Amino acid sequence: MRSARLEPMVRFGGLLLIGLVAFALLLLLFGRNPLRAYVDIFASTLGSAYGFSETLVKVTPLLLTALAVALPSRIWLINVGGEGQLYVGALCATWAALHLADWPRLPLLAVMALCGFAGGGAWAAIAGVLRARGWASETITTLLLNYVAILLVHYVVFGPWRDPGGLNYPQTAAFGDAAILPAWPGSRVHLGLLAGLLAVAAFAFVIARTRWGLELRAVGGNAEAAHRLGLPITRYVIVLMVVGGGLAGLAGMAEVSAIQGRLRPSLSPGYGYTGFLISWMAGAHPIGIIVGAFVLAVITAGGDILQMTQGLPGSVVNILMAVMLFVVLGRPRARA
Amino acid sequence: MIAIFVRSLLSGAVVSGTPLLYATLAEVIGQRAGVVNLGLEGVMLVGAVTGFVTMVHTGSAAAGVLAAALAGAALNALFAWLVIDRRANQLATGLALMFAGVGLSALLGARYVGRPITGLPELPLPGLASIPVLGPALFTHDLLVYAAVPIAIAAHWALFSTRWGLAVRAVGENPVAAFAAGRNPRVLQYQALLLAGALGGIAGAYLSIGVAKTWAEWMTAGRGFIAVALVIFARWRPLRAVAGAALFGGAIALQLLLQTRGVPVSSFLLDMLPYVLSLAVLAAWGGSGRRAAPASLGRVFQGSQ
Amino acid sequence: MTSNPGGHAVKARAIVTVLLVALLLYPAAAPSQGKLTVGILHIGSITDAGYNQAHAEGIQVMKKNLPEVEVIEVENVPEGADAERLMESMIQRGARLIIPASFGYLEPALRVAQRHPDVKFAHPGGYKRLPNLTTYWASTPEAFYLLGMAAGKVTKTNKIGYVVALPISFFLANINAFELGARAVNPKVETRVVFTGTFLDPAKEATAAAALLDQGADVLGVIVDSPITVVQTAEKRGAYSVGYHYLGAQKFAPKGWISGVAFTWGNLYTRFARQVMDGTFKSENILGSLNDDLLVMAPFGPAVPADTAGLVNAKRAELTAGKAHPFTGPLKDNTGVERVKAGEVFPITDLGKMNWLVEGVVGQPR
Repeated sequence: MRSARLEPMVRFGGLLLIGLVAFALLLLLFGRNPLRAYVDIFASTLGSAYGFSETLVKVTPLLLTALAVALPSRIWLINVGGEGQLYVGALCATWAALHLADWPRLPLLAVMALCGFAGGGAWAAIAGVLRARGWASETITTLLLNYVAILLVHYVVFGPWRDPGGLNYPQTAAFGDAAILPAWPGSRVHLGLLAGLLAVAAFAFVIARTRWGLELRAVGGNAEAAHRLGLPITRYVIVLMVVGGGLAGLAGMAEVSAIQGRLRPSLSPGYGYTGFLISWMAGAHPIGIIVGAFVLAVITAGGDILQMTQGLPGSVVNILMAVMLFVVLGRPRARA
Repeated sequence: MIAIFVRSLLSGAVVSGTPLLYATLAEVIGQRAGVVNLGLEGVMLVGAVTGFVTMVHTGSAAAGVLAAALAGAALNALFAWLVIDRRANQLATGLALMFAGVGLSALLGARYVGRPITGLPELPLPGLASIPVLGPALFTHDLLVYAAVPIAIAAHWALFSTRWGLAVRAVGENPVAAFAAGRNPRVLQYQALLLAGALGGIAGAYLSIGVAKTWAEWMTAGRGFIAVALVIFARWRPLRAVAGAALFGGAIALQLLLQTRGVPVSSFLLDMLPYVLSLAVLAAWGGSGRRAAPASLGRVFQGSQ
Repeated sequence: MTSNPGGHAVKARAIVTVLLVALLLYPAAAPSQGKLTVGILHIGSITDAGYNQAHAEGIQVMKKNLPEVEVIEVENVPEGADAERLMESMIQRGARLIIPASFGYLEPALRVAQRHPDVKFAHPGGYKRLPNLTTYWASTPEAFYLLGMAAGKVTKTNKIGYVVALPISFFLANINAFELGARAVNPKVETRVVFTGTFLDPAKEATAAAALLDQGADVLGVIVDSPITVVQTAEKRGAYSVGYHYLGAQKFAPKGWISGVAFTWGNLYTRFARQVMDGTFKSENILGSLNDDLLVMAPFGPAVPADTAGLVNAKRAELTAGKAHPFTGPLKDNTGVERVKAGEVFPITDLGKMNWLVEGVVGQPR
């Protein structure tokens, strides 16, 4: 009984191992010690209190952006726009932080979170509506909107919201203390982590235990039949995109408020895309998402560690990610 | 004044549009066979670095372009194996391919930054080059530029007037039916992806040895993703891809040109034009746009893999 | 994969054991006594033939001068959460001097510096300091003024084009100084600026350069990460070029090279390292100039006639002696607003506030 639930986890672990071995061979090719490298990575990401806290900091946005993909994927919608939704969420949260700067902390943060969610949700809604009307695949529209979102952030940061005291550098003014999401004292782990974990839990609950979840599974299983049964497909498309985009927008708000303290174009090193990968690797499964977020956080941190301790160029982390992904994606399928 | 502006705009559109055209053609061919490759960016980068390194060592532009095509085809072959034989999810594998391409190209190219090459030789077409305005704008470029539109025409011909093209499209529409009709979807998809990889590699090579004559990490700067959008814009037809690439290339050139004229618009807002245009076109073409897509490509989007 | 839970458990145990053993054998990263470890973060690739390479070469010079110093070097570090984490990592590995070599690293560096008062930081281009965080830069406007003079004399069309990454105030100041220098010798000179929007995109730079040349520019300058693309484009079209950062770009323009300016950080980094080792590290706003070893101007190319070279060198002496200033009023910006009154100068220390382009420059500073 228990082995049936353990089975996919163990299989996933076995695949990761194969990926790690493949990368170890690559390292050997470059004359490096793979065991030393892996131990360095482990020690710096999971093996020390500081390292673990930093891993949690990285995991936080990934949980939300992975959900941004996982939720719509339940009815086979493909949201590659997490990055753009994150940025627009950050943009809206920044608006609140800059224009309501004299508000007290709690209401301000609440409004910022609301704005973040609304911004990301609205951004995703564009693609959702286009898809719901049958006009354009959300895969492409969300991808295009990513670029527009980043350019929008560039525009405001260079233009109307540029920090008057910052050497004309592209960034907004710094947020006041009230606009900063509180962190666990002594580390950078912030409230966003709680939000992310709650969101995953909510996701798991809704899918498994509510009527909506049942309807979602019906739509995802057979859209035609569901439509004939009278389920409002269009509404689901839009709602799921909005909620998914909103979660990514929340990630943007969390990053800009807790980690950066101001809006810059360099806000996200690809959290949206990494979230996409996590969700697909995990099969949109809640526990898989948490595990996947940790794995990817470790891998991306690992790249920097490899530069520091093994003298490998930064490009190597990309190859590592690709190798791991190829292995997991190319896994043998039980069914056709 | 106007003449200079038009000339500059056309020339810039050609230079910016050529790599987009090659990349879009690559993606059109692949998608016509039913496979989406989001990792085109990685293929272009591998082509760019290979073309550049080859030219540094051999001094031959032809060798560079050839090597780039082979490198692109090789990377796409890996992609093909993963999505066809291993049945990996196309979109996720494409993104992984992008990471692979970025990493591999950076690794290969690290020692070649700042190396001088002569690049693709400029070949003004006799007679045509002396037409006022249009001449210098369109007919003083290099071989890859001149070859782009003919290759697009060839792609159109291959897809729509040959048995091979028919077979490829059949696979893209309905691989099961194609198989039942005696075609081999697997082989056809491999062929399409190898060809696509070669074109993607050439697109990258044009950037490194044609336009910039240098190598820099991630020098494609997202052009591979623009191409994926352009495929939709072109409704999976190579000839429309020419128009799309010209439009997008023109938008990029326009943004830069307007700056030289001191026009007070934010360069970032101008940069948004190509993407907003694509979205507008997608929305405007509506349902008919979707019907233009290869049917089994649509099924992939439904995630039935 | 067979569903053999027992077999899996055995395998899992074995793997965990190996990892634990390896972990125990892993020597703790204790900082070696007496030896200095320097950590440096780069925003880009150190082989970019430009900005990042200059910092990396500075570190190499430091290593040559002080072979006992160890270096931890990381490239392509995004500005943001990662930068802070990496600096902490370096400190954990024993780094006692950290050089976060990009403007956007300032805030993370300030936070880390506050947590580790015994670790020293040196930030290029920063505008806030701490007792253990010093800032440094080299004032380039004087150099650009001189480059402008040379270009102003050499140009035949009186149109100069500049390909610039972003409208950051340091870069705007350089352009302004350039135009003022060019105007000083040639009142008809006009400089057009195109912003590519990013520090490095060779294809866009080439296209921007071509557009400027089409508009009649016969001199091209560049302020992006690496000057190679623009210099090459200029040379190919028979135009003159002005370089920045990587001076090796001169070999790409045997005919059209005017001159260029680059940062040489090696001696400064050596000084920093020595100060940390001696305990004499001070936090101050170091602003280098043409006078010292932080900046170097490239030799003039064959396009620059001897009398122009003489003129420029004479002006250089004046500038470095403090007898002249690149931003002497009255100065109007290119929308007609007066920015510097007659008889006053725009102080170099205020460059951070320069968000306008001077009259004669065609472009939008945003």
